[in-house]
Amino acid sequence: MGVLSDPKGYWADLTRAERGVVASVVAFAVLLLAGLLTGALSPTYFLFLVGIAGMYALLSFGLNSQWGFSGLINFSVAAFFGIGAYGTALMSADSSPIAGGYLPIVGLFVALAVAGVLALAIGIPTLRLRADYLAIASLGLAEVVRLVVLNERQLTNGSAGVRGIPQFFEGWPVLATLPQQMPGLVVRPFPGTELVLETPFWGALLNVAVVVAFVGVSYGILRRAHRSPWGRVLRTIRADEDLARALGKNTYAFKMQSFVLGSLIMALAGVFYAHLNLFVSPGDLDPVTTFYVWVAVILGGSGSNRGALFGGVVIVTIREGTRFLSGLSEFVLDLGVVALQFDLSFISSNVAPLRFLLIGVLIVVLMRYRPQGMLPPQRELIWPSVVDDPPSKLESGVRGVKAGESDE
Amino acid sequence: MSEQTEAARGATDPDLKEDVVLRVEDLQKSFGALTATDHATFAVERGTITGLIGPNGAGKSTLFNLVSGFYEPDGGRVEVNGTDVTGLEPYEVADHGLIRTFQTPRKLEGMTVREAMLVGPREQPGESFLNLFFRPGTVGEREGANLEKAERILEEFEIDHLATQPATQISGGQMKLVELARAMLAEPELLLLDEPAAGVNPTLRNKLADQIRRLHEQGTTFLLIEHDMDFVMNLADPVIVLDQGHVLMEGPPKAVQTDQRVIDAYLGGNV
Repeated sequence: MGVLSDPKGYWADLTRAERGVVASVVAFAVLLLAGLLTGALSPTYFLFLVGIAGMYALLSFGLNSQWGFSGLINFSVAAFFGIGAYGTALMSADSSPIAGGYLPIVGLFVALAVAGVLALAIGIPTLRLRADYLAIASLGLAEVVRLVVLNERQLTNGSAGVRGIPQFFEGWPVLATLPQQMPGLVVRPFPGTELVLETPFWGALLNVAVVVAFVGVSYGILRRAHRSPWGRVLRTIRADEDLARALGKNTYAFKMQSFVLGSLIMALAGVFYAHLNLFVSPGDLDPVTTFYVWVAVILGGSGSNRGALFGGVVIVTIREGTRFLSGLSEFVLDLGVVALQFDLSFISSNVAPLRFLLIGVLIVVLMRYRPQGMLPPQRELIWPSVVDDPPSKLESGVRGVKAGESDE
Repeated sequence: MSEQTEAARGATDPDLKEDVVLRVEDLQKSFGALTATDHATFAVERGTITGLIGPNGAGKSTLFNLVSGFYEPDGGRVEVNGTDVTGLEPYEVADHGLIRTFQTPRKLEGMTVREAMLVGPREQPGESFLNLFFRPGTVGEREGANLEKAERILEEFEIDHLATQPATQISGGQMKLVELARAMLAEPELLLLDEPAAGVNPTLRNKLADQIRRLHEQGTTFLLIEHDMDFVMNLADPVIVLDQGHVLMEGPPKAVQTDQRVIDAYLGGNV
């Protein structure tokens, strides 16, 4: 049932919302492509954006495997992201006050280990309690991590941040110097436009390859986990933890696994970010990241991996797209007879608040018209090889029913 | 009358029972000043359908929660299959063969009925995260076997037409059936049912009683709380009467129905 082998069948099998999403994704891709080909969007910057989008997708995956799968409320997304970023930065950067000089791949594993330990440390006291305790504890944890990073100068350089982080493939045989060795290309897709593809472009392309690999592996793991008996226990816990306990499931252990797994994926996003930006500072642990990621997961549809992917990309579009608005100063609508001139300087001087406004409006509209998110889990989740007949599509989606609506 | 009472008293003595699957000894629990379970002692014999009745507030649900590990008792002992399970976590109690259901059917949002059924089986290899990646074959095999079993049980319960319906879209009575069917997938030796007939229409209620009887014949022991007297008196033997947290009496349904103490307890007075 692949898109390529049977596009018509694929399309017919989609729900209305899925069609809407596919259509808008295609439209958006066409728009980006047009931007690229006409030179309005620099290819290197575009690849940077793809990297950021992948990073948000990873963060959303992480939160989805906590909140979406098991209903764990984690408000320290930014902290785990920061642990990942600082973990690898402190291991590999020249300016690191503690370690430094290790290969980024070592930094990756150290960062993941630290994030895993921290997740255990916060999970052990709170996961036995009601869901709200984790929410409160994680909110506190995020601030603690941020303030420690900011103030422990002898460990983290404090507000100066960590500079001189190497590229992710530093020290690898071929990949380390690949961007330098690639020939500089100049592509002219249309007369008059000229795309210069040189070292920065190839470097950015390599970064995209890294993030695509991270996202791909995480998605593969989560997809399999989601359709498994393991994921089913998590979904039972989310719906009714007592039921899972009564059926003999050790819910504490399951919640812990889901929490650690999610935290590791968030840290992975941080690792990627450090080697993309080559500089990390305490500002990267700003709590607002946590809420962007929450919006991404809710927008995509809690519990749905592809929803998290979609939500992550939408959030980056809003976050980065609004940057273009700062260039606007006026808008002239020429109607031939009269020319209407709008002064748009109020937008360009208020981009940050505008971004929040946009996200706020988006959430309100979403909650009003589609509380389950854009791409909620639509189909039965049973181990793939077991159900040979693809389960008949549920018109409303299993999740799309208001509780109690059809009771009795 | 007094003879009957005597007979009933004889049956109450838990030490006289031979093959005991659940033994509760001197169990106590209070919430602040309220004593919910007051030195309750009883035993459930293997191969019976034991009824647990009592007026509202007698402490039946508290007793269930204590036995299944949801509450921790203040004192006393709970034994399942001869093993002390006092104070263990619900999943550990379940490991000893005791499974419970709830008074209000629990909804599994986002799942189809057969998916919700598949939560039931115990010790699935696919519940280990690592197995998903290192032993996918085993996971798939067991999942297939479980799905087959789930579908067979749904068929036996005559609700197989609901298999691919969303689990939240079926009627309250059907949910009770699904809950019972799912509990059976966990292969319990002792199944605790908390008001299985509450809110179920008469036709479905008879069906439910038939199912419990059938499963009982296949070897499952039941302990059930029920307010519907017809339902419990037709189904259960013996019946344990709980009043104000302690066991008032135990005996066959007939003896219980005519016992003056039971009547007094239900009418609400020590007249």
